[in-house]
Amino acid sequence: MKELGISGPDQGLNLNKLLAYKEKIIRILRSGVESLCKHNKVEIVRGKAYFLSDDRIGVENGHQFDIFQFEHALIATGSISVMPDGLVKNGKRTILSHEIFQLEEIPHHLIVYGNDYITLEVATTFHAFGSKVTLLWEKKNNFPFDESVNKELLRLLKRKKITVYKNAVVQHAEETTEDITVHFHSSGLKRDLTGTYLFMAGNRRPDKAEMGLERIGVQFTENGFVRTNENMETSVPSVYAVGDVTGPPFLAVKAIKQGKTAVEKIAGKKTELDFTFLPEVVHTIPPVVSAGLTEHEARKTAGEIRISRFPLSSGGYGWITGKKDGFIKVISDAKTDLILGIHMIGEGAVELSGHFVQLLEMAAREEDAKFPLYAHPSFNEGLLEAVEGLIGQAVHIHPKIVT
Amino acid sequence: MIEVKLHDIVEGLTEGEILHFFVKPGDRVQVDQPVAEVQTDKMVAELPSPASGIVKKIVVEEGETVEVGTVLLYIENEDGHQADKMDKKEMNVKERKEPEKRNTHPSPFGRVLATPYTRKIARDHQINIEEVPPSDPSGRVTEEDVYQYIRQKQQQKSLPKTPEEKCKTKMEGKQLAEHGLVEEVPLTRVRKQISEKMKQSLFTIPHVTSFDEVDMTKLMKVAGELKESGTPITIAAFLIKAVVKALKDFPVFNAELDEKCEKIILKKYYNIGIAVDTPQGLFVPVIQDADKKSVKKIHDEVKRLNEKARNGNLTPGDVKNGTFTVSNVGPLGSTGATPIINAPETALIAFHKTRKMPVSGPNDEIRIARMMNVSFSFDHRVADGLTAVQFINRFKELVEEPHKLFLELI
Repeated sequence: MKELGISGPDQGLNLNKLLAYKEKIIRILRSGVESLCKHNKVEIVRGKAYFLSDDRIGVENGHQFDIFQFEHALIATGSISVMPDGLVKNGKRTILSHEIFQLEEIPHHLIVYGNDYITLEVATTFHAFGSKVTLLWEKKNNFPFDESVNKELLRLLKRKKITVYKNAVVQHAEETTEDITVHFHSSGLKRDLTGTYLFMAGNRRPDKAEMGLERIGVQFTENGFVRTNENMETSVPSVYAVGDVTGPPFLAVKAIKQGKTAVEKIAGKKTELDFTFLPEVVHTIPPVVSAGLTEHEARKTAGEIRISRFPLSSGGYGWITGKKDGFIKVISDAKTDLILGIHMIGEGAVELSGHFVQLLEMAAREEDAKFPLYAHPSFNEGLLEAVEGLIGQAVHIHPKIVT
Repeated sequence: MIEVKLHDIVEGLTEGEILHFFVKPGDRVQVDQPVAEVQTDKMVAELPSPASGIVKKIVVEEGETVEVGTVLLYIENEDGHQADKMDKKEMNVKERKEPEKRNTHPSPFGRVLATPYTRKIARDHQINIEEVPPSDPSGRVTEEDVYQYIRQKQQQKSLPKTPEEKCKTKMEGKQLAEHGLVEEVPLTRVRKQISEKMKQSLFTIPHVTSFDEVDMTKLMKVAGELKESGTPITIAAFLIKAVVKALKDFPVFNAELDEKCEKIILKKYYNIGIAVDTPQGLFVPVIQDADKKSVKKIHDEVKRLNEKARNGNLTPGDVKNGTFTVSNVGPLGSTGATPIINAPETALIAFHKTRKMPVSGPNDEIRIARMMNVSFSFDHRVADGLTAVQFINRFKELVEEPHKLFLELI
């Protein structure tokens, strides 16, 4: 705990210690990856690379310049965050996503502007650090999850005294040495707000500068991302691309799968890429996970559905740990019993997401989720109760609150 | 409301012309009451009502040719229970057909329901999982479904003669036809049915044919005298009567073999089919209860059925429930054949041409007799040669000494 910057109860957070801890962990993980590469006989060449042709790449490092000939190349250069359209950065109090976790002081009042998972994570994280947080939810009427999750998330943010302005559009911001004043519209009203820092999720651009991709004929999407097919092949047969550089959604989960798919394809295997059950995972406090169809989507595509929600406050483990906020919500097809979607806001959601996705991938029916045994007490038995609730069999859901 | 559809009243029927409706909207009908008359290329058939009730609407015009399955009219049922049953029957048929289609049915996720493992099996066998028909009612494609689909594909590949290939050899025929060396005649539906039926009969029944000759002198004299007295009776009518008598003594030839239940069903009714050659092909109308009919009545029936067959007016009732078949090929001129049994019957007799032949009498004198050959085919699974010979001898006796036939008259 001390290393994390928390020396004891009520003693606040030592952010510098936490940053040092973060650097240390990153260093350890990096060296771990390097060690794995070494033992798998993967050579790491550092430097600035650019393609010379569809089978040659040059790497420049200081005065050294090497040319490598290749059969296959894989681009995984990611994306960078840039300021939202029409806004310019004019000081150190406007910060983007790669800068926020390097901030060396805990802001007194952090204004958070954006509409993605990072926006929500920054808001709840800095609230936990002790900042006053105001959330300007950019250009959207609501959060992107299942309607019940959206409602609960808003309720929990309000309870943390995080003010939420929906449909917000920042016009401009003025910085002083002390603070920053943000001028924005929200739902048609003009507002001003002064805080210590303004965090902006901003836009993401592919990081492909000076790589020479145009020269060798790699094609791009309208938004400038590398265009790929279902095997992650670019328009140049020997060149593959994966991750953020290929476009949204900008999720590590997706990039990892794409990387494996590309390599399998190169190795001559038959591949399949299918993100139907790509889980949305948000490391907020408490976390949010969404897999499969939302209630709204399910009503549209499946017609007759069953819905059940298990509040964590109905389970013993929520009380033991004091993490009673949130719920697990399961949606199934009333005609076939097929599980259509699983959504959770609450403690343990991130770890449970694997369970949710697996049920969906296995095309599980209600009984497939109901039959197995679940640890007790635990958060994951909430899933069991939610599934049982679909058919009115949940022991710990009060009959009155079954939706 | 019950839909009355044209169904295959006759085996193999695919379409028919609606000649006439026996009912009109507002009429009350009973179960099995004929509601329409349908002309098929084989016969005229009556379509029975599947339920009782009141005719609501007729949706097909008289004279229209429609496919099997087409709704002809609607009946509002009074007997709700029965109607339900009928409806459900229809539904079942539909549902059974559905799996073929289901893979095009979108799942709620817009992708085929299958576990990652199943998807991999399909992938590794280069099969598009979207094409695999699911056996599961929820539309989920299982591992077994994929393997089944793979097997099916392999079978299709390994089959040496798919219809397409058969047609390829036909193509060579076509070239010959173009040069006028051969002529191609497409199989009519009747021809196809005959071909199927004969094939099935010959492939399942071990046939034995026994030949014999019958002295027709006395019988023909009787027939001649009857004709002179103004009551012409066809020889066939006497022969049929004799056959029925012989069958009563040897019931195994008026029977049906039930292999599944390991038994022979001896029939106590004698419905004699008579093979009739028509320009459309061979038909076998049946004289019902020939044992209860006089020779005169049988004569009338033979005449009536022959005409109906030649004019293509046979009804399903005319060809149903035969127990034995006779084939009178004599007028055409043959002296012997190996007839194929009309399954599921167990025997068939063919009468050949009657010729004047010198024969020796009891005192070794030579006389000119009218001799007719018969060919008797029987199912060797149900009877042996001895019984067959005994049957023929009995038949012979009755024909050669027609007065014995009189003794048998009821």
